[in-house]
Amino acid sequence: MNDLLNKEIFSEIPLRTWGWLGVNEAPVPEGLAGVNPGRQEITVAAGQAEELVLAEREGGALELAICLEPGAKLHLVQAELAPVTAGVSSRLQIRAAAGAKFSYTSVLAGGASVAAELTVELAGQDSEADVWAFYLGDAGRRLDLNYIIRQSGRDTRANMQVRGALTGGAEKIFRGTLDFLQGAKGSVGRENEEVLLLSEDVRNRSVPLMLSHEDDVDGHHGVSVGRMDEARLFYLMSRGLDLSEAQRLIVAAAANPVLDRIPGQALGQEIYAYLQGRLAHA
Amino acid sequence: MAEKKTYVADIERALYDIRDGDNAAYKSESGLTEAVIRDISGRKQEPDWMLNFRLQSLAIYNSLQLPAWGPDISSLDMDRIVTYVQPDARLTGKWSEVPEDIKGTFDRLGIPEAEQKSLGGVGAQYDSEVVYHSIQEELVQQGVVYTDMETALREHEAVVREYFMSLVPPKDHKFAALHGAVWSGGSFVHVPAGVQVEIPLQSYFRLNAAGAGQFEHTLIILEPGASLHFIEGCSAPKYNVTNLHAGCVELFVKEGARLRYSTIENWSRNMMNLNTKRALVEKDGLIEWVSGSFGSQVSCLYPCSVLHGENARCEFTGVTFASRGQNLDTGATVIHAAPHTSANINTRTISKAGGAATYRSAVKVTKQAPYAKCSVNCESLMLDDESRSDTLPVMDVEGAEADIGHEAKIGRISDEAIFYLTSRGIEENEARAMIVRGFVEPIAKELPLEYAVEMNNLVSLELEGTMG
Amino acid sequence: MAEELLQIEGLCAGVEGREILHSLSLDVRRGEVHVILGPNGSGKSTLMNVLMGHPKYQVSGGSIRWQGEDLLALPTYERARRGLFLSFQTPEEIPGIRLEDLIRTARQAVTGEKVKILPFRKELEAVMEGLAMAPEYAQRYLNVGFSGGEKKRAEILQLLMLRPRLALLDETDSGLDVDAVQIVSEGVAKFHTAEDACLIITHNTRILEKLRVDRVHVLLEGRIAETGGAELIEKINAQGFAPLLAAGE
Repeated sequence: MNDLLNKEIFSEIPLRTWGWLGVNEAPVPEGLAGVNPGRQEITVAAGQAEELVLAEREGGALELAICLEPGAKLHLVQAELAPVTAGVSSRLQIRAAAGAKFSYTSVLAGGASVAAELTVELAGQDSEADVWAFYLGDAGRRLDLNYIIRQSGRDTRANMQVRGALTGGAEKIFRGTLDFLQGAKGSVGRENEEVLLLSEDVRNRSVPLMLSHEDDVDGHHGVSVGRMDEARLFYLMSRGLDLSEAQRLIVAAAANPVLDRIPGQALGQEIYAYLQGRLAHA
Repeated sequence: MAEKKTYVADIERALYDIRDGDNAAYKSESGLTEAVIRDISGRKQEPDWMLNFRLQSLAIYNSLQLPAWGPDISSLDMDRIVTYVQPDARLTGKWSEVPEDIKGTFDRLGIPEAEQKSLGGVGAQYDSEVVYHSIQEELVQQGVVYTDMETALREHEAVVREYFMSLVPPKDHKFAALHGAVWSGGSFVHVPAGVQVEIPLQSYFRLNAAGAGQFEHTLIILEPGASLHFIEGCSAPKYNVTNLHAGCVELFVKEGARLRYSTIENWSRNMMNLNTKRALVEKDGLIEWVSGSFGSQVSCLYPCSVLHGENARCEFTGVTFASRGQNLDTGATVIHAAPHTSANINTRTISKAGGAATYRSAVKVTKQAPYAKCSVNCESLMLDDESRSDTLPVMDVEGAEADIGHEAKIGRISDEAIFYLTSRGIEENEARAMIVRGFVEPIAKELPLEYAVEMNNLVSLELEGTMG
Repeated sequence: MAEELLQIEGLCAGVEGREILHSLSLDVRRGEVHVILGPNGSGKSTLMNVLMGHPKYQVSGGSIRWQGEDLLALPTYERARRGLFLSFQTPEEIPGIRLEDLIRTARQAVTGEKVKILPFRKELEAVMEGLAMAPEYAQRYLNVGFSGGEKKRAEILQLLMLRPRLALLDETDSGLDVDAVQIVSEGVAKFHTAEDACLIITHNTRILEKLRVDRVHVLLEGRIAETGGAELIEKINAQGFAPLLAAGE
């Protein structure tokens, strides 16, 4: 924890808790101290629908600010496929005006040390965020995620679905916040994280925050962390799969709801092959 | 209607609010200095090791920062807090020997009456010292010890020295250090192996003096196979100055023992309640926490269960009700440190009239705890949009064999539920009250009957104030 | 002629600014059984909710009188105290409130008399037995974890325990298996007397077998398209609503 304090802070949790848990802040990933990515800005014009695919195969830092004008729609796809030695950071800030919809699909599979921050402001009435992410932690990988959806408009909808698997000596922290601001009447928020633990040496930290300053909301979050369902493993093995094959299949099953959202066959297949390759070596 | 509400609220609160005037026999200087601590220790005629413990704790206190998380406690000025207030009464086992004004307070709180009806022993602390202590003869014959901490330090010095602040060391946090330096009063319970204490023991803590602190220490040791239900109650009249409560509870639940620790806290709303409670549970042991937080201006309370032996279990049931001017930060901590340990955490929080309620928790599964199982369920009800309700749980899991689930919900009373009940002839205010009582029912049913009734009264009273 | 209980005249009502009922009129006298038939979306549930005073529904015209009194001026709980009872199409689940406690509180509210616990419990258990409900259900939280059929039986249990003057049954038989419909219809038959009336929405005429139906109304697009005696049920069963809809155009 002390060496954490000495590192530059990349991202912070919206409400702090006990220091001994080490979840209050995410440090800047290894090798990226002092790197200034330069902030890029994107605006999706009113009523337009866009899709943006970012496949990262190099590592490094990314910073993106996105403005969704009224009624605009954006599906942002981010595939993290950097080499196993790279440091990776990504900071995304999205602001959605009335009736805008932000969809996000993220696969975090590469890099040695990954920090990702996602902040979505549902500022306009009837705006929506639909966030899906899958992560795979293996070997000595460190994943440090901080997702925040702030709902300030009326009748906004937030959905945050995160799936992940940890193996080898991986360490992961996922902080997911739903923040209902006063005035967000009629808003709904859902957050769910499901984590599969595949090795004795992993460490998983899950921090689902739900903050509310508005009574007329419907918020729900859930987390489940655990080993694979034995009945499911047994079923697959009874069909002739060995343990590692069965495990790979179950991890793929967890990833599929996220992978299915990726447009175009080529990238989806590349990610699938990449994940299977990493799992085969795990 | 409005008049009636105010009237009811005044009457009810008055029960807790009656002050007895400045009736102390002795008060220490306000503030925290070595001289104050030497003075407290000297008056108690403590052994040297305890004086040294206090002085070391003071040094730790001075070296630690205020916590960087949680509610704002910057209005707490330790230089203004009187840490030791000795009541003008000697510890006795007969209510008739308790001075009239002090006895009157406990009478109004129903303590002697409850003692007659349903308790195996009672301790009553007034400001810094315990003024009344009793235990049924039958329990004494079974070897059960239930006494105040000062007596325990004299008569069971070796046991106290072995356990005292070993589970909550002063260096744990600033207010644990403060407690180590200025602790006074509290209860000591020792239940021998295999002894089942069938009726509950209850300690009641009353802080009467304005601007004072209460720092009672509760130390409970259950030897293997023993069982006990311990009840703790606390209240204080309201003052315009800040009062401080920094108690410490250390519970040792040995192999196969079962302890239920119930608390209804209804401090007045000028109280900073910065309390530390911790249980160490050995193989096959069980700790059950039942916790109701209603009072205080600020509360920071997260009973911690260290599941240290195989199959050790924890059940935590809590309810928090934050109203105007209150910031109640409550929850639980569970450390799974042995195989097959399990925990259930079930909480309800309500916030209204600008009150802030936070559920804060940590579930830690160490590598030494394969097959740990923990399930957390917390629900928050908001009664208006002035209030705040935050949920901040952390799960920290090492190893592959854990099974951890967490669920939280937040929302308000649904219009449909109100319509359903009013369609059955029930008035809207009563329908709301029924729904809120239903919301806390899972907790109420875990409380001893008179406390469940008190909690329901507190809920109804809180609702009377704003609804309609 | 029996005394007027409920008089609806020219009722216009809707939800979220959209009018669903258009100038609907209907009279129910003591002891009568009225059945409302109509396709989905014709306004049947709207009528029930307006009668009970659901806050989501707004009345934009017309009147509803209850034994001469202006029903629309009364809050929901007063309507219940006057003798209306709605058996909900989807009964609410309310954790923490036990079924028995609800019925006891409601009984006290509608009768204005203190309920004695022991005789009350005996009565409750007898009525539950008649509905083939295990007594444990009285101690369970209101509808929480109840199956569809159990929820409907809990509604009929409340009907029998609260003894209103007019039972509004909103698809109380939908989603039930044959045995459950039998139990529910026996329960309704037990409730119905020369004094106590029923207004029933149903898709399933089996629930009516044990009752003497006085009037049948066909509700189409927020208007009563036809009113008749029990024979109208046969007609609708045979022909559906299509001929009536066509006639209306």
